[in-house]
Amino acid sequence: MKTVALKVLGAIAVLWAAATFTFFVQAALPGDRATLILNQDSGQIIKRSDAELAPVNEKFGFDDPIYAQYVNYVAGLAQGDLGTSYRLKAPVTEIISEQIWPTIFLTIAALVAAWIKALALTLLTAKRGRIPSALGSGYETFTAALPHYWLGVILLVVFAIELQLFPVEGGSSLIGLVLPALTLGIPLAGFLGQVTRDEFEKVLDQPFVTSARARGMGDFGVRWRHALRHAVLPAITLSGWAIGALFSGAVIAEIIFARQGIGNILVTAANMRDIPLVSGIVMLVALIYVVANLLVDLAYRVVDPRIEVSS
Amino acid sequence: MRTPKTLLPLLALVAGLALAACGGSDSSGGNADEFADAKPVNGGTISYGHEQEPPCLIGGWVQQAYIMRQFSDSLVSQVEEGEIVPWLATDWKVSEDQKTWTFTLKDGVKFTDGTPFNAEAVKTNFETWLNPKSLNPTVDAYIGEYYKSSKAIDDTTFELTLTKPYSPLLSALSQGYFGILSPKQLAKGPEANCEQPIGTGPFIVKKWNRGKNIEFVKNPDYNSAPKNAKHQGPAYVDGITWKFLGDQTLRYGSLTSGESNVIYNVPTVNWKDAKGKFQVQQYITPGRPVTFSLNTQQGVFTDKKVRQAFGYAADRKAAVESAFNDVIPYNGNGSLSQSTPDYDESLADAYPYDIAKANQLLDEAGWTEKNADGVRTKGGKTLTAKVVYPAGSVVSAEGVTLLQNVQEQAKEAGFDIKLVPSSPSETFGGKYATPDSYDAITWYWTSPTAGVLYIVWRQNLKDRPNGNNASFYNNPKLEDTIEAANSTQDEAEQQKLYAEAQQLINEEAAAIGIYTQTTSLASQPELRDVWIENSQGEPVFHDAFFAKKQP
Repeated sequence: MKTVALKVLGAIAVLWAAATFTFFVQAALPGDRATLILNQDSGQIIKRSDAELAPVNEKFGFDDPIYAQYVNYVAGLAQGDLGTSYRLKAPVTEIISEQIWPTIFLTIAALVAAWIKALALTLLTAKRGRIPSALGSGYETFTAALPHYWLGVILLVVFAIELQLFPVEGGSSLIGLVLPALTLGIPLAGFLGQVTRDEFEKVLDQPFVTSARARGMGDFGVRWRHALRHAVLPAITLSGWAIGALFSGAVIAEIIFARQGIGNILVTAANMRDIPLVSGIVMLVALIYVVANLLVDLAYRVVDPRIEVSS
Repeated sequence: MRTPKTLLPLLALVAGLALAACGGSDSSGGNADEFADAKPVNGGTISYGHEQEPPCLIGGWVQQAYIMRQFSDSLVSQVEEGEIVPWLATDWKVSEDQKTWTFTLKDGVKFTDGTPFNAEAVKTNFETWLNPKSLNPTVDAYIGEYYKSSKAIDDTTFELTLTKPYSPLLSALSQGYFGILSPKQLAKGPEANCEQPIGTGPFIVKKWNRGKNIEFVKNPDYNSAPKNAKHQGPAYVDGITWKFLGDQTLRYGSLTSGESNVIYNVPTVNWKDAKGKFQVQQYITPGRPVTFSLNTQQGVFTDKKVRQAFGYAADRKAAVESAFNDVIPYNGNGSLSQSTPDYDESLADAYPYDIAKANQLLDEAGWTEKNADGVRTKGGKTLTAKVVYPAGSVVSAEGVTLLQNVQEQAKEAGFDIKLVPSSPSETFGGKYATPDSYDAITWYWTSPTAGVLYIVWRQNLKDRPNGNNASFYNNPKLEDTIEAANSTQDEAEQQKLYAEAQQLINEEAAAIGIYTQTTSLASQPELRDVWIENSQGEPVFHDAFFAKKQP
């Protein structure tokens, strides 16, 4: 019980820190918020007169001292109110709850695709002789370095526009999820594969592997049942980070494939210094990191029974 | 704690996902002519691939005008040559002193929430646009200075009183920003109207899925199409799915794969291909073209000769044609786009490429020395100009290529052009809006009337600031000329005055023209009668229908 309470408190502290940091960074950036609102509403880029700015400043409280704005914001947070987006004129919670699911699906699909690819490649090529090993390892390094934007456009043009195997617009269908997930998943698979491969090769030299082989176990069985289990631990750790990174990096796949999602909203909100919306999304990403790391802890215990649940 | 022993079940679950590929549809191509004589048929939903998504469905940005055209009607509509035709207003007259406009309104029209459309509703709209709490900055730029009051004489007679004569009024009112909305809904405030605005238009906003699309359904009781519509009565189609497809490769791919029936802004690289396969149309946006506004108050461009030399120093025409693959037209006139009524044709080739002239002007201006890099100097200062451009949606990658070509050529004449991209937050936050922040900036203003000259070139004075005067060029004579043009109902006189204003701006080289904004649409052969209206290039789907193949 005590650990659970501590974890929850820790999570709250992380969220509060994320919100505070984002609030002040946004507030400190140059560019007047009232000017941004007026200019964006009219497609203009001009200097606004005081007479024009005054009603906007009053409406959003931009004239208040920054600490007062902050206190106001945190007081709202304490009551579960994330505020209202200046630009989209809608409650932040409403915008987030509408946009979060497509991004979550994309993140999960990308992570799963990355794992499948990394595991398959490791099982097939690690310690299979110099050439397959080198090919597998080289391929991983290559894919890990692929820029998302470039990869996404290539996948779009080749598999959707030319070959027409997938819909061009990602949309919300399962089939439409494939290319965006691969866009994010292929480079990630490169990272996961590299750490898994290193570990895998080490494990295959361990005495218990030799003894398993001596018991007459087949090569696939050794790799699958024994070695892999040890080798995936670093990749699981990496996955905790990857979930957060995928979530906040989803914007590129969202733009290329015209998907709904948090990433797209975050980029425009940050451009327009929409403080409540940016802070809300940053808190959400922080929450995702916290949850992902909890899941990693759990996964460790499942994969490696030597780790006891201590409390 | 007990949990599944391995990750296998999870892996197996999603493996299915990767294998679930199937074929896409294939309906592109075909010959447009086979549908040329098709009769309108009812039914079907238009899948439209648009580009940018605005923060709200109503407002003063051109992206909002596009959307407002679908669910709202304006008082009047503008056709070619600036002619005005009836829409929600069937007739209008202006008083002798040109300060009172009386509009006769269409009878029997209802907003889609059931509220009747009448003079009181029009009055509410004018008051809402100009109320500081719900200000529409674009409406304000057009009529703020002129507006005095509005009055509902009776249900179908609306009276607008101005502070001074304003002949571009009807052109201004024809734009989507001036779409008339339900007063009942407006009373609910800007938040409600951001997502769920209500008009009298041919379509109704059913749902806006942010980041994805707007679902429009047809207004079955529509009875207020403008006179320039191809038919009266409700739309033929059942609705529109207005999708936001920001990436141009994706957008064109969505048309070729048949996922969209029609798309906005065909990528210039695909223009030729689109012409062969689809019905394409291009609209050249009137108003202020994309120009270099040269800072006349600070820096190297305070000297007129240097401004003129910059105009002559680069082959802007060739740069535009090559950067935009011959799709987007060059616009030499720095004050008005070639499609604007009262555009002065004689300035079409203003400041053509002439390196000798550029050199001569710079010599005359005293920039006679050159430093080791070949940049001209004068009194120890280099001929350096900071040219700011809004990166992203306004100046595309193609636009940047163009600017780089200009930069390269201007170097020959001894200019050192520093190109500075401005991020959206810098752009809209007004970082580059003061005389000390740039030597030149690129921007535009889409407008159906030469009256836009008043918005852009009115003097920027302390007690009457004008942020749109991006050249910081204060010339009372210019302002008077434009104001005189804005005040006369005599068309010949007006044209003459607007021409004088354009020539003055040109002679002073306060702005150098580059290219025009455009709207293009490409639609599949069977989707007939989509058209682009004349004030802002708003796509119109009210007359569109899916033709059946003739047996």
